[in-house]
Amino acid sequence: MNADEIDAQIRMLAAERRLPPSHLARWLAMDPASRAAMLDIARVIRIRTGQLMSALETLEEIAVREHATVAGVLGRPEIRRIAGGPGSAPSRASALLQALRTLRYPLLKKMQEQLRSEVAALKLPRGISVVLPNELGSDELTVSLRVRSAAELAHLLEAVDRSRPGLTRIIEMLGGKSEK
Amino acid sequence: MKFDLDAVFVEHGCAGSVLATRILRALPRHVPVTHVADAREATRPASGARDPFGAGKRRMVIARRKTPFLMPCHAGSPSFACCGYLVLTLASNCPMDCSYCFLQEYLADNPAFQVYANFTDSFDELDRLIANARGRSFRVGTGELADSLAFDSLTSISRELVDFFASRENLTLELKTKTDEIENLLGLDPRGRVLVSWTLSPDAVYRSSEHLTAAPAARIAAARAVLDAGYRVAFHLDPLIAYPGAERDYLLLIEELLDTVAPQQISFISMGGLRMTPRLRGAARSRFPGDPMLCGEDVLASDGRFRTFTPLRLSLYRALADRFRKAGAEIPAYLCMEAASVHESVFGAAPSRPATIGERLARG
Repeated sequence: MNADEIDAQIRMLAAERRLPPSHLARWLAMDPASRAAMLDIARVIRIRTGQLMSALETLEEIAVREHATVAGVLGRPEIRRIAGGPGSAPSRASALLQALRTLRYPLLKKMQEQLRSEVAALKLPRGISVVLPNELGSDELTVSLRVRSAAELAHLLEAVDRSRPGLTRIIEMLGGKSEK
Repeated sequence: MKFDLDAVFVEHGCAGSVLATRILRALPRHVPVTHVADAREATRPASGARDPFGAGKRRMVIARRKTPFLMPCHAGSPSFACCGYLVLTLASNCPMDCSYCFLQEYLADNPAFQVYANFTDSFDELDRLIANARGRSFRVGTGELADSLAFDSLTSISRELVDFFASRENLTLELKTKTDEIENLLGLDPRGRVLVSWTLSPDAVYRSSEHLTAAPAARIAAARAVLDAGYRVAFHLDPLIAYPGAERDYLLLIEELLDTVAPQQISFISMGGLRMTPRLRGAARSRFPGDPMLCGEDVLASDGRFRTFTPLRLSLYRALADRFRKAGAEIPAYLCMEAASVHESVFGAAPSRPATIGERLARG
């Protein structure tokens, strides 16, 4: 397909999916290889409108951050594996967005994984929940207890007390004190 | 004048003012001057311009300010531990064009560079302030809605300001800038009442985001020069941008600063992570789509602004605060637009009340 044919296909797909004009304009503003690569993946995965909008935005940001092209990003092995891999179209679309988000927010994703494994390592009993701030957008850790009796309360408070060093470490990590 | 102007508009009643006379005399001959009955229309975004905000920066409007000059810092909020800064608005907008600048949102509806012909009326407001709060000290800055010195070669406002503040014991003037436009300052005697502050960023941020500003090395050299001329100096590491390699670059910048200005000569340091409302973020990205500094690992924080996710932002604050701590002198430092818990986490102590911080920074 030449560039005009690719653009015609993009317009057709945008019309089918009711893609907002602003997002269509962003897509058409990409370099030819990136326009084509985006069209290819949108067709293969049969990505929904909202997902397509997210993908376009995230890809643009990754490209700016990394001084790369969208085609270059879509050509990376982890993305190609998702595009060509098994599974239903919706699950692959969801995996694509996850993978793009990991590329867009590499340190955030790494930090979230570290914190989640710290929380898991506490091995807290049922009834205690430790909730990390959404997208690590604050330094606030929520620890909550759910109890139905005084004995249960005593048991959970003891568990929290035993976990104090681990919880302290998590709070310090949220405050930026982790080793790099 | 280092910055280009496309046009100047003079509001009726201001043409004979000292300021207008001064500006029109120094203005390059090719810049057209239009006299208008009401300046409001001239301050609005130019219709049909591809970048109305950018075009506004090159249009100067000389008008009377009809609202008070003095106000609390607009960034102040009960959710933040604030610094007690008072803002004196003598001009609005800035000829430089930083991609992250909050004015892109704040002045979106009136982006022309406005300068107020009746600026000396602000001196009455300042005298009333100190008369009503005897014994208290205030830090008052002109660099919030405009760069304090960007057009000083044209307006020479700094001369009247320095003279006024030099004779007021309880007032400290802060001239905040990203320029090296200090010529007017060097021949004046500030008598310890004027501090000049620079926003400092590593070269990577300067090259990517701070269009038309002086290079960081030139800002530091200018700080040295005003220090030698009797001014106090301060530095704002704001916005701190957490790009890959940022910590190393900011630490190198601090080394460069401390090689030129001894830590005991620094009146204070402020730090503030890049924060953008969704509207500002949209405006900035639309004007500067290729700037990677606008695509950091920012998430929507509880105050409705996009900020670098908290552990990364705080670890950068902490690394820089540690470096200043190791410099061997206790440099007063504060964080801008951050919660008290963040101050405590970074500096190891709860912040004082804004008024107390303000007095401490004013007295030096």
